[in-house]
Amino acid sequence: MLQQDSNDDTEDVALFDAEEETTNRPKKSKIRHPVASFFHLFFRVSAIIVYLLCELFSSSFIACMVTIILLLSCDFWAVKNVTGRLMVGLRWWNHIDEDGKSHWVFESRKASSQESKTVSEAESRIFWLGLIACPVLWVVFAFSALFSFRVKWLPAVSLVAEGTVSQCWAVTAGCSLLQAVVVMGVVLQGANLYGYIRCKVGSRKNLTSMATSYLGKQFLRQIVVEIQRCRGPVFATASE
Amino acid sequence: MRSRVREFDSSTLNESVQNTIMRDLKAVGKKFMHVLYPRKSNTLLRDWDLWGPLILCVTLALMLQRGSVDSEKDGGPQFAEVFVIIWFGAVTITLNSKLLGGNISFFQSLCVLGYCILPLTVAMLVCRLVLLAELGPINFMVRLFVVIVMFAWSIVASTAFLADSQPPNRKALAVYPVFLFYFVISWMILTFTPQ
Repeated sequence: MLQQDSNDDTEDVALFDAEEETTNRPKKSKIRHPVASFFHLFFRVSAIIVYLLCELFSSSFIACMVTIILLLSCDFWAVKNVTGRLMVGLRWWNHIDEDGKSHWVFESRKASSQESKTVSEAESRIFWLGLIACPVLWVVFAFSALFSFRVKWLPAVSLVAEGTVSQCWAVTAGCSLLQAVVVMGVVLQGANLYGYIRCKVGSRKNLTSMATSYLGKQFLRQIVVEIQRCRGPVFATASE
Repeated sequence: MRSRVREFDSSTLNESVQNTIMRDLKAVGKKFMHVLYPRKSNTLLRDWDLWGPLILCVTLALMLQRGSVDSEKDGGPQFAEVFVIIWFGAVTITLNSKLLGGNISFFQSLCVLGYCILPLTVAMLVCRLVLLAELGPINFMVRLFVVIVMFAWSIVASTAFLADSQPPNRKALAVYPVFLFYFVISWMILTFTPQ
């Protein structure tokens, strides 16, 4: 009877747990900061789109480049100051102390028991996907800008064939503005990527180093105990 | 692109987005004020950020456009030229001051040099307005006067912040490239004609 009762109890408890798990799982993968997630991707993706489609948007090359520069800057600021700490609880910055020396600080929010502070899976996935995919695309653009002329500049190239210095300068400066913008994209987004990877690795390294040192000590202790226990037979076989 | 002096505990890690934006905007505004009224203070150096230099650089490059903005061939060289001169010049001066043994960090120096372009940007604005009137020697004298005054202001503002970071016998060596840098920008502003 008692056993049956306890079985019923455990069955009830098991059902309750199963319900809680299903209600917990959606909470962890729910997007808690939809606006931040949107802006995290919006600036990066729109910079890439404007870069690829600048002929369609406006006939002015300068306006496109200025737009891309502003989008890249806003993206850098947003990812560094807002979306990083809201979506994954990481932050990196530069701190200058009293002596004038600069330190780079990489910080990660410690895991706390509060539900609101844990990182949600979906947000983390969106964050890292956006953070990694876009700099890779900018690097691809950098290589393609290095090795090929854009179609816009073909008329300018034909003018260069006439041999005037100012038109040569027009072609090289125009190409260099394009490459400057691409380099800026690579640098800014690469910096964010590097900063956040260091934040992530830094936090993980603390845990793993603690874990390895603890496990290492346990392992050594076990070996010493084994040696002390088997001291007799080991020495006997060695002396043979 | 921002550094902070205060220690970051969970309060700023969890602050609202509006707080972050307002704080950064106020910091940028404060630095602009510091450039307009240069006093010996550490604010520009301690809390560096590169927003001001970016805004000023883009504004100056846009204002130095010759001809119509829509024509790509005319607009391209001036914009790229100004951008590259400003950023490469600032990086070179920073490297120079670091090699001379200054104890200022890379981004701090870029911050100071960039913010001290503000007087020259104002000069550019004034020159463009003056150029709306008829061209002539008086026109040129007015522009020359304005550019010289703003150039001197930029030099005073930047040396007020940068000279302290150098050892005393190297101050002239560190200030001379800054002088050249602002001279080149002033030259570009003075020789600008909207044709």
